[in-house]
Amino acid sequence: MMTLSLMKKPLAGFVLFSILLLLLPFTVTNDYYINVLIIIGINSIIVIGLDLLVGYTGQISLGHAAFYGLGAYITGILSARWAWPPIGGLLISLVMVGILAFLIGIPTLKLHGHYLAMATLGLGIIVFIFFQELDFLTGGPSGLVGIAPMSLFGIPFDSDLSYYYLVSAFLLATLLLSINVVRSRVGRALRAIHGSEVAASVLGVNISRFKVGIFVLSALYAVTAGWLYAHYITFISPSSFGFMFSIKLITMVVIGSLGSLWGAIFGAALLTSLPEFLVVFENYETSVFGLILILVMIFMPRGLMRGLEDLIKRMIDLGRQNLKERSPTS
Amino acid sequence: MNRPQALCYKIKWGPDTGPPRYDHNNMTFEQQILQYLITGVTVGSIYALIGMGFNIIYNSTEIINFAQGEFVMLGGLLTVSGMQLLHLPVPFAAILAIVGVSLIGITLDRAAIRPPKDPSPITLIIITIGASIFIRGMSSLIWGKEPYPIPAFSGEEPIPFFGAVIQPQSVWVMGVALIVVLSLRQFFGRTLTGKAMMASAVQPRAAKLVGIEASYMVLLSFALSGAVGAAAGIVIAPMSMVQYDMGVMMGLKGFCAAIIGGIGHPLGVVFGGVILGIVESLGAGLISSGYKDAIAFVILLLMLFFRPQGILGKTKGERV
Amino acid sequence: MNPVLKTEGLSKHFGGVKALDQLDLEISKGAIQSIIGPNGAGKTTLFNVISNVIPPTGGEVLFNGVKITRKQTHTIAAMGLTRTFQNLRLFSEMTVLENVMVGMHLRSKGGFFSSALKLPWVFREERRIREESREWLRFVGLHDHTDRIAGSLPFGNQRILELARALASKPQLLMLDEPAAGLNMRETQDMVQLISRIRDLDITVVLVEHDMDLVMEVSERVTVLDQGRKIAEGDPEAIRKDEAVLKAYLGEE
Ligand SMILES: Nc1ncnc2c1ncn2[C@@H]1O[C@H](COP(=O)(O)OP(=O)(O)OP(=O)(O)O)[C@@H](O)[C@H]1O
Ligand SMILES: [Mg+2]
Repeated sequence: MMTLSLMKKPLAGFVLFSILLLLLPFTVTNDYYINVLIIIGINSIIVIGLDLLVGYTGQISLGHAAFYGLGAYITGILSARWAWPPIGGLLISLVMVGILAFLIGIPTLKLHGHYLAMATLGLGIIVFIFFQELDFLTGGPSGLVGIAPMSLFGIPFDSDLSYYYLVSAFLLATLLLSINVVRSRVGRALRAIHGSEVAASVLGVNISRFKVGIFVLSALYAVTAGWLYAHYITFISPSSFGFMFSIKLITMVVIGSLGSLWGAIFGAALLTSLPEFLVVFENYETSVFGLILILVMIFMPRGLMRGLEDLIKRMIDLGRQNLKERSPTS
Repeated sequence: MNRPQALCYKIKWGPDTGPPRYDHNNMTFEQQILQYLITGVTVGSIYALIGMGFNIIYNSTEIINFAQGEFVMLGGLLTVSGMQLLHLPVPFAAILAIVGVSLIGITLDRAAIRPPKDPSPITLIIITIGASIFIRGMSSLIWGKEPYPIPAFSGEEPIPFFGAVIQPQSVWVMGVALIVVLSLRQFFGRTLTGKAMMASAVQPRAAKLVGIEASYMVLLSFALSGAVGAAAGIVIAPMSMVQYDMGVMMGLKGFCAAIIGGIGHPLGVVFGGVILGIVESLGAGLISSGYKDAIAFVILLLMLFFRPQGILGKTKGERV
Repeated sequence: MNPVLKTEGLSKHFGGVKALDQLDLEISKGAIQSIIGPNGAGKTTLFNVISNVIPPTGGEVLFNGVKITRKQTHTIAAMGLTRTFQNLRLFSEMTVLENVMVGMHLRSKGGFFSSALKLPWVFREERRIREESREWLRFVGLHDHTDRIAGSLPFGNQRILELARALASKPQLLMLDEPAAGLNMRETQDMVQLISRIRDLDITVVLVEHDMDLVMEVSERVTVLDQGRKIAEGDPEAIRKDEAVLKAYLGEE
């Protein structure tokens, strides 16, 4: 019910969510859980961007881990090899990946359906291979060590708690920008493209401009997340940015509901924390993800969160009907 | 803890690594090139087979089955189990595996592809991806994460060939690929069922009018595609070992083959597979083996950008 | 007077089918011109090619004397030419109001950057879009359904919504592809009313329609297509009596 009304008034939701983020650490007893919250926050940033692309605009990407990885590696390399400050790494990686996503996006987003899926998947794998093979830069398969811990404008973020608030600030900024985009002329154009490209274009929507635009924006979110990740863990290796992670990101979007920003955060939180809390999960993780994807798509193609919401709505309607039916007799 | 899940599978043989035990230094440059070509055609035959698997399902449903590579892996691993648990000789284990994977294909269709009503392409993509990682996860539980060897079908004595050598298993691979491709051609071109399978995607309503139940044809295509994938996994197993996660790369390469040649166009797919195999093998031998997989995907992207219908495919008008 | 829209030798072939065959057509400003013809005559194809949803095989399209043959669909829309679809293409997951708001896309300019930051002028523009869209809904009579999901509207209302959405872009030329198909008698009458009121907005209308009564009632001029060619043209009365037209409709056996 709460989510229902939150969807209607996203700004009220945003304020509530900010307060929640502010208070959350006080409810957590174990330091380890702060770790988990940080990773949830980082993943949420990527998934929000991916949802703008997949859920709102209807363009699938199976290669988003690559942008996340590029964000982490560019800042990581600059920091570990040339002792650049983190902020420099962020700016450079935003510019570089922004240009890259733009150039790649133009031909890629002309493709549809399966072709788009395979092309983005291929991109992800090519980038992954470069992480592995350019070992003089990336450290190869064994990873890149010696990334400096986060410090911005002379302020170090060396405790988990301070890092949590840093990530939260970025998450809130991402969320606010995204809410604004969604509730604007741009957001309507994106959803129109999802609905019918032909109809959108006869109304003057420049399809490729908006598709590429949202592709770049979502890549930039992933870069930011990668940057936060690299300076938090201070060690990165290609395996965190492979095909399987791209699939996990899509799973988060799907679970959370395609085309719902709150759902995106919900999906990221659920799938990031599940393996942490269920020890038995470890061996079954891959299978469970697979099963979740299949079941959600079959039974709730609009996503778990929307699916539950529809269910609640239907139950409320049923309840009302029952009341109505009963009232004349009473 | 966090092992590379996506790409740790590499074909563990070929010019740079594996079993073909010959000495490059004793070969002239031409002979080396010939050696790479032989390797390329062998791997290419496998890609072609996997590509055919994509093609069969695509022809009758217009779905790209992202779980195609898992059929290949299952073919290999089921054969291993048949040999180790039931002590079957290779041919029987292989037949059992092929039947098993066909059944898994059928299950996939009935349990995951058919249930959603009026699914969008994104829904179907996500479902087959889900199926693929589900199968992979289950396989890692059943067979563990180690690679399994299968002995070569007829020994490992290399056959000399104009100064290069051919592994006997290579002959098996190319032979099986050729037989499968020719039989499929006969099946789709000559038999009523085969023609009906082609018709059911192009003209579902017309197919129904002449009494062809489309859903039965889809089922059949999943079974057939499973069988072809399994066959690919079985013949390649002695050269590459089989492992629970080999399906990812295998599936992607098969898809590359299909796109290069032109999906929906069987001959093109075979052609695409062989070209991809050769380019990869030459690239790995002459440039760098680490970037071998990247070559395939760069080709894939270039094809998708500039000629998405493939080398042999024709463009078809989109209905507005 | 110069025609608003003109085609010269326009052709579209699908394999062996000549959906449009060397078609020369002129649409004059301010009129309602109907295009009729038996099923498969090439009417929808004509709209598709003019709006460059599909490229022509040959020939040219001129809009206000400017060649638009190879321009992108959205550019053509920006020049003032839009259309509706025979088989509806609403944004069915969006609300009725949002559909019309997309129609105002061309008449607003908030981009990624300004929208993400919600700059003050974007805020004002958004309010203008919302208010004007409501007015368009009132104009077509859908104002009671503003917040419904478009896909859940009854079919007749969906057709009207598609029209409202196209109107919101304030085109110079509006091409309507069978706006009355699937409507009942009363809804058809409402549609006739609506189309006449559109002309008063100074919008030129090209109408493809099978409902002859509707065509005869609203149009000033009628063009008849058959197998991609123009077989007759004139005022409704003349067309009604035309031999070639009767032949085309009744078959030539
Ligand atoms: N995308 C396409 N591919 C192949 N043939 C097509 C395509 N679109 C239209 N056609 C063919 O072109 C011809 C003209 O079709 P079109 O849809 O333009 O007719 P129409 O006049 O709009 O008919 P209706 O009154 O039934 O709407 C028909 O023979 C049709 O089958
Ligand atoms: Mg038509």
